[in-house]
Amino acid sequence: MDWTAVRLLYLSELRSALRERSVLINGILVPLLMYPLMMWVMFSGILFVTARFESFASRVEIAGLPAEHRGILDSLDEDGRTGINEVAAPPAGAASAYREEVEERLLAGELDAALIFKATGDPPGNAAVSLLSNGSSDRSRSARGRLERALSAERSAWLERIAARHGLDGAEWQVFEVRSNNLATGRQMGQFLMGMMIPLFFVIMIANGCLYPAIDSTAGERERNTWETTSTLATRRLNVVTAKYLYVATMGTVAGALNAAAMVVSFRSFLGPLFARLGGGDGGGLAFELPLGALPVLFLTAVLLGALIGAAMMILAAFARTFKEGQSMVTPVILLVVFPVIVLNDPGMAFTPALAGIPVVNVVLLLRQAIAGNVLWLQLGITVLANGAAIVACLWIASRVLRIEEIATGAFEGNFFQFLRRQLRPAGGKA
Amino acid sequence: MSTVQVEVQGLSKNFFDQSRGEVNAVQQVDFECRRGEILGLLGANGAGKTTTLRMISTVLQPTAGTARVLGHDVASEPVEVRRNLGFYSASTALYPRLTARETLTLFARVNKYPAERTKSRVEETIERFGVGEYAGVRIEKLSSGMKQKVSIARTVVHDPPVLIFDEPTVGLDVLNALDLQKAIQELREDGKAILFSTHIMSEAERLCDRIAIIDKGRIRACDDLEGLRAATSRHYLEDIFVHYVTSNADS
Repeated sequence: MDWTAVRLLYLSELRSALRERSVLINGILVPLLMYPLMMWVMFSGILFVTARFESFASRVEIAGLPAEHRGILDSLDEDGRTGINEVAAPPAGAASAYREEVEERLLAGELDAALIFKATGDPPGNAAVSLLSNGSSDRSRSARGRLERALSAERSAWLERIAARHGLDGAEWQVFEVRSNNLATGRQMGQFLMGMMIPLFFVIMIANGCLYPAIDSTAGERERNTWETTSTLATRRLNVVTAKYLYVATMGTVAGALNAAAMVVSFRSFLGPLFARLGGGDGGGLAFELPLGALPVLFLTAVLLGALIGAAMMILAAFARTFKEGQSMVTPVILLVVFPVIVLNDPGMAFTPALAGIPVVNVVLLLRQAIAGNVLWLQLGITVLANGAAIVACLWIASRVLRIEEIATGAFEGNFFQFLRRQLRPAGGKA
Repeated sequence: MSTVQVEVQGLSKNFFDQSRGEVNAVQQVDFECRRGEILGLLGANGAGKTTTLRMISTVLQPTAGTARVLGHDVASEPVEVRRNLGFYSASTALYPRLTARETLTLFARVNKYPAERTKSRVEETIERFGVGEYAGVRIEKLSSGMKQKVSIARTVVHDPPVLIFDEPTVGLDVLNALDLQKAIQELREDGKAILFSTHIMSEAERLCDRIAIIDKGRIRACDDLEGLRAATSRHYLEDIFVHYVTSNADS
């Protein structure tokens, strides 16, 4: 192996790639910016919708409110955004006509929600309540939420007064007082969520980072007629292929590492505050921090996946004669590597030594464990060996494939399967 | 005394074609090319010129026969052959996203030009082929005439003793073609052994010291112009070419 030639060709490929817009976008900008941007949009969107929802002025009608429950009106008055039209209970014979009239007004948007009380008599103050709203309208849903909160507050206050009258305190009349206690720390919860999400996007981004360079450095060269130029260089073809492979693997690794870094930053900067805002007490405790021990594992997995996916893509791209052919041949590799990640994305799955022997799956599980703060050394060793063996196998296949002159020059005619049949036919069987 | 730089003996190439089946593109080709000589391969399109030159440049492997460049066999010592060879053809494009200077430096270094002298050699080549004005511009932004100059510079930057020009003037305008012919003549004066393929008679007549007429993958004649005239009793190269091609068809 002539490492000087490999280094020169590798640097030349990288220099070319960094001047190509598609490589920059797919290999660097998308992995780096996609998730912060996505989360920022999500964060802003949720805040916007929440704020808009809360800012609606509600028009509600309350019919037959018992004198004992005037507190409901006080609750609704508190936020100052509820316009209340209080009416007397309709006479017994006109109840259904009144309800129909209210429903029509709700559907026409003249009213946002209505409460219709029907006193049950004993004990005094008890009543059946109908809460009418239109679920297809934001304003109506907002009004319904306000009425439900007011009713709930009034019910609690009412029960407390009754209980106090009988000499009972809150703990006695509620029967069960639930005190929820999540033993996981906010940091552990954050790591669990990151462990579920990062590996999936990580694999997709590495595959995406390898995709364009793998096609560009093989089929792209043929399409641009630079393959023959490269073939005249005074170095072994193996050196040329090695340089190209290292370039593809580097781009995949860089895409993965950038994506993981961007993901962690996004989790900390956007998802954490979002959970805090949406989840109140529980969500507020989530901390998205990556353990220091996970960083070398993250880098190792990026290298292993970049090297493996790059090698697999180059085998297929070697057969392509045009960039378009390359895209259709190589894109299935992305599905092939993402499929096990999606299927095995079960948080309860243990990372056993047997699973550590399956390429791609082992990397994902290793990464998930590392994010959770565990490094399983035996599994790590098996993972490195298994992926190393898969990479060597892929490179061996690639070097065998590129020895076939028709493939190396892109000169084979007909479709790929006809070509394979010709190659597999015994020499004497040729025309 | 001129020395033989390229020796070709019994060189043959068969390949599979979807519509024609097994094709004998080159059959039992023999010739040699000496230092300071331009040997022209003259033939119609599809005669086997490009396939022959690609085998000598190690882009393709011969089915049979041998070709040696400075004594190095194309099949067993391809790297040594490529180190001593510069290959130029209309189909050998340049890397579009590198600049002319980066391209020349890459080819000089990978083709084993001494690292400590690469920089001065690259600048000297840039100067010689008039590439200086756009040496820092990416190839994709150059005109076809500029690209052609960079391509020739790329071919010779590692100072190989043997050069192959495969139909180099195809697609060039008259002025660029004349520039290229002038450059090739200068390279011959530098002592390079040059294999030059063309289907343009006037080009072969003006440039080549000897001409090999190739038809249907076989060399029909190989001599200098005077020798070909004497052998065929015809004056113009066009008539000589027709004589060999039609007599082959008749036979």
